Amino acid sequence: MIASIAFRNFKALRQASVELCPFNLVVGPNGSGKSSLIEAFVRLRTLARMSLAGEGNEPIRSANAPEVSFRFMPPYDRWEAVMSCASDDKCDVLNVFPLSNGEGEGTWEALRGKLLRIRRFELDHAAIARPASRKENQELKPDGGNLAALLLRWRDQLPDVFSAWATQALRVFPEYDDIQIYDVAESDVAFSLRITGERTRVPAHDLSQGTLYALVVFALAADPEPPSVVCIEELERGLHPRILREVQDAMYSLSHPSSHGLSREPVQVLATSHSPYFLDLFRDHIEEIILTEKLGSAAHFKKLTERKDLGELLEGASLGDLWYTGIFGGVPTCDLGGTVSFGERS
Amino acid sequence: MKLAILSESPADEAAIERLVGAVLREPLVRVQSALRARGWPSVAQVLPAVIRHLHFETNADGLVVVVDSDDSVVHTAEHDRPNYFHPLCRMCRLRAVFRQTTKKLPPARGRARVLRAVGVAVPAVEAWYLSGRPADADVSEKAWIDGQSRGHLPYTRAQLKFRVYGTDRPSLVHETNCALREIARFLPDTRRLENDFPGFASLATDLRGWGQPYDEDGRVE
Ligand SMILES: [Zn+2]
Repeated sequence: MIASIAFRNFKALRQASVELCPFNLVVGPNGSGKSSLIEAFVRLRTLARMSLAGEGNEPIRSANAPEVSFRFMPPYDRWEAVMSCASDDKCDVLNVFPLSNGEGEGTWEALRGKLLRIRRFELDHAAIARPASRKENQELKPDGGNLAALLLRWRDQLPDVFSAWATQALRVFPEYDDIQIYDVAESDVAFSLRITGERTRVPAHDLSQGTLYALVVFALAADPEPPSVVCIEELERGLHPRILREVQDAMYSLSHPSSHGLSREPVQVLATSHSPYFLDLFRDHIEEIILTEKLGSAAHFKKLTERKDLGELLEGASLGDLWYTGIFGGVPTCDLGGTVSFGERS
Repeated sequence: MKLAILSESPADEAAIERLVGAVLREPLVRVQSALRARGWPSVAQVLPAVIRHLHFETNADGLVVVVDSDDSVVHTAEHDRPNYFHPLCRMCRLRAVFRQTTKKLPPARGRARVLRAVGVAVPAVEAWYLSGRPADADVSEKAWIDGQSRGHLPYTRAQLKFRVYGTDRPSLVHETNCALREIARFLPDTRRLENDFPGFASLATDLRGWGQPYDEDGRVE
């Protein structure tokens, strides 16, 4: 949905832009702009709720004020949205401009409806494991905290959706063979998994963090009414490296539903990761990898497609290992002073 | 026959197990199931440790290793000359790892060494899956080698994957189902696959030699 994003003076992203794919894996050191990229998406959603600039009193901004521009994929390629900010923390104006080279028929109102459905997920295993209010059963919360309530609604009202989710979850975790959703007090529900071949049930609060995260990721993928854009940080967190392929599959079922036999609209995915093992899985789709890098105090983006010798490099090492070495950039650097003589240091 | 399989994905592994059964025509017992490597060159890097582990810690008779050639040099009859080794050929490299690793190990568990069966799918295992499909008669190891020497490859690995899976982003479940569906063609008779893909024929030859003694270079004496 979002085709490209360009930053000016937004936090460490002084002058940085990147083209986006339906699926995007963002890798880079802490503080290199990964979170700022996701934050820009979330702010765009917030501003899309309000009236556009020009429809009220527009503040006057200096030429160097932070600004983030978004362009969109067809059918919304006729529009550019520019978000301007008073400071890094206060982006309060959205301007929308028609582009002369766009051919899509999508209206701003339709695009705005999509922007309102951008979602950021920061999963919290404790919240996922806690009993959930059965009323909060419509949309997955950013921390995944209402998973039990969502599953209960699916089980009772959308049995096919529930069954698809449960089938995937139990296939990936064969140590369990059943899921139970049960009442806790009057208004809350919780869930448990049954150990395969036994009658013992493991309540959610005793499941591993990685299992809880994976269950939410699979729920995101199974959701019949998913967001328009899913931003999710540290997708690999707590997961065994061998389960990452299933997580990648789940994300691709959002971003490329027809590849998975689904007829729903694609959901753009922006995921961050620190895992070389996860990176390895994108060998056939290097265009989906975005490296973030900080040089001095300025961060910028790089695409692996820029590396023309990647084929030769991959003969000697896996993609994840190559990234780890630092030859692509996108790795933390620490100044140990080894290459700088005393006279040069300020 | 007790054997272990080292491959790049669970989908490959499921297909390779059945192909091995089709060649050996005897009941297989999988030892140390779910060995896995993260693609090339990780396979070559972990292979010594895997061989050593199987040798001392398990009763495996042999280890089956299958990798994709990707864009590397394809193994030819020329490479089979005594003492020849092509450093850019994955078949040569994997055989060399077997040779060097097993040479250093003393006999264990009543056997001299863990037997070797190496296959290299040119350029990817999906080419094997397409063998014998009338619409994909253009896919063979020879077609790939000819393309390499002309500087114009007949197809890309991505295209082969698309032909097998119908998408460039198959799920693991779909990938496994497609692999098993396609190799079902070869289960009664693997000769067509061996003919079109010498990288598979090498695997089959290794497997058939498992009843016979190997020489120092891992060849059937
Ligand atoms: Zn060779």
